Amino acid sequence: MDRLMSDKKTIFTLVAPGFLILLSMILLPIAMSVYYGTTDWSGIGSFNFVGLENFKNIIFHDDVFRKSLLNALYLTVATILIQHPLAILLAILITHCGRWEKVLRTILFIPAIISVVVTAKLWASVYNPQYGLLNNMLETVGLSFLKQDWLGDPRFAIWSVILVVMWQGFGYAFLLYYAGLKGVPEELYEAAKIDGANYFQLYGRIVIPLLAPMMRVAIVIAVITCLKQMEVVFLMTNGGPGSSTQLLGNYLYQTAFSKGLYGYGNAISVVFVIIVLIITVILNKILTRDVGEY
Amino acid sequence: MVEETHQNQINIPKKRPLRSVGKVILYAIMALIGIVQIFPLIWLFDYSLLKSGDFFGNAILQIPNPPQWENYISAFTQGKVLPYFINSALVTFVSVVLTAVVSVLLAYAITRMKWRLSALVANIILIGMMIPIHATLLPNFIIFHKIDLLNSYWALILPYTAFNIPISMFIITGFMQTIPRSIEEAAVIDGSSIFGILRHIIFPLTKPAIATISVVNFINCWNEFIMAYTFITADKYKTLPFSIIQFTGQYSSNYGAQFAVMSLIAIPSIIIYLIFTDEINKGLMAGSIK
Repeated sequence: MDRLMSDKKTIFTLVAPGFLILLSMILLPIAMSVYYGTTDWSGIGSFNFVGLENFKNIIFHDDVFRKSLLNALYLTVATILIQHPLAILLAILITHCGRWEKVLRTILFIPAIISVVVTAKLWASVYNPQYGLLNNMLETVGLSFLKQDWLGDPRFAIWSVILVVMWQGFGYAFLLYYAGLKGVPEELYEAAKIDGANYFQLYGRIVIPLLAPMMRVAIVIAVITCLKQMEVVFLMTNGGPGSSTQLLGNYLYQTAFSKGLYGYGNAISVVFVIIVLIITVILNKILTRDVGEY
Repeated sequence: MVEETHQNQINIPKKRPLRSVGKVILYAIMALIGIVQIFPLIWLFDYSLLKSGDFFGNAILQIPNPPQWENYISAFTQGKVLPYFINSALVTFVSVVLTAVVSVLLAYAITRMKWRLSALVANIILIGMMIPIHATLLPNFIIFHKIDLLNSYWALILPYTAFNIPISMFIITGFMQTIPRSIEEAAVIDGSSIFGILRHIIFPLTKPAIATISVVNFINCWNEFIMAYTFITADKYKTLPFSIIQFTGQYSSNYGAQFAVMSLIAIPSIIIYLIFTDEINKGLMAGSIK
């Protein structure tokens, strides 16, 4: 048995296909980015080695890069402060909905499985100043003074985009907390009831603290997803107006493919990966240190 | 283990009835959020049946009178929905199957076989989970350009598979650890090889986990857009999301048909979701908790 289980040839045959695909499609490209990131290549012809020049420029002199990071930060903070509390509240409320529970759960998750292209183009229409749903709704409820060109005005554009990202991601956040709630043993509710606890005490002192490990996981996922977010912006505003809705992935794409700055674009890729890795490691250290069982 | 607990978490509702006033408020809040989540889609279907001229009113929803089903016909023909649909189906199917096969093999080698680099390989695969897709777009574009892989099905299948491997492998690993070793030992005594064990024992027993990852990977590949947009420019290989992109570009004033093409793309995802709700939920949660 042991000899069979440590047969080198078999192990190689099992590991090689998957590992090679992963290596060649994800890790080799990143290594290449590190190399090209140190050049001034423009996609055609020869190029010069410029050392860490690109990286220095990105970190110290690139305003759009800074704006992209700042926007990612807005998105992250809005997600954690608005989307997640709402998702927790809803996860709690839905357990009281009896036979509607399953229907509501399904409805809440539908936006999460819709193609991002549909989501982005649909919401671009919702925000459309001529026929958009949002302005029509404001008009109908007598708030027509609030009507805006939601994506055209730099003051509102980033928040309009953030709302779309939150709309699409809401079901997923909700589902995580819902799963966490379902993991709380029924006896705890019974015991609390026998002890005369009201709903606020029940949730404030027992259920929410038990949900803490799931919150940590959900927040780690949310932060990483927010940093990586790109498609919605790419399809709705392409970073504009100006760079008011720019995000890292989109800026990288523009630099590389629209402006043809391959060297600089690759350097942005590398910085992007490093940022995501560092934040992931730090968050994992801080937040999942003592994930308990209940 | 993971699979079992999630099944319980999802399927067993807790019955704790509220008093009537609370109930009214509760349902009001739930209805409000439910409407916010679903209303843009209802609006989409509604407007997909309108004449383009009817778009510019202040009504929130309009009764299509008569419903313009020809919007769907022009979406279908001008949006090239059918050829792109076939490309999407082909790319998605191959990616999903390939991911499932290589993930099972990887998971088996890592949970059962004894080799020195096992932990290292597992960790490298885990790093793959953290790499943003967008950071690989440019280098992969350069590589694909050099080896002449741009504008081919493989230019999508390979990266789709690569990005689905890490999470799939970890879900299957978790599941595989619950399979008792004694079954394999018995098979070995009967003279079975590793590949015999994989085919006759591991694969059948891992089916629930394979189903879960496949459904989730299906949704991922089906909806994937940015890699397709980067690696494919030839009409012959374009996938379904391109229908919307091209349609909104070329027929920008035909609003009704634009909305119809969006509906056509959204409907299959929604149907798949309604059929496989539990598998999708299980997959997403198993993936996040790992």
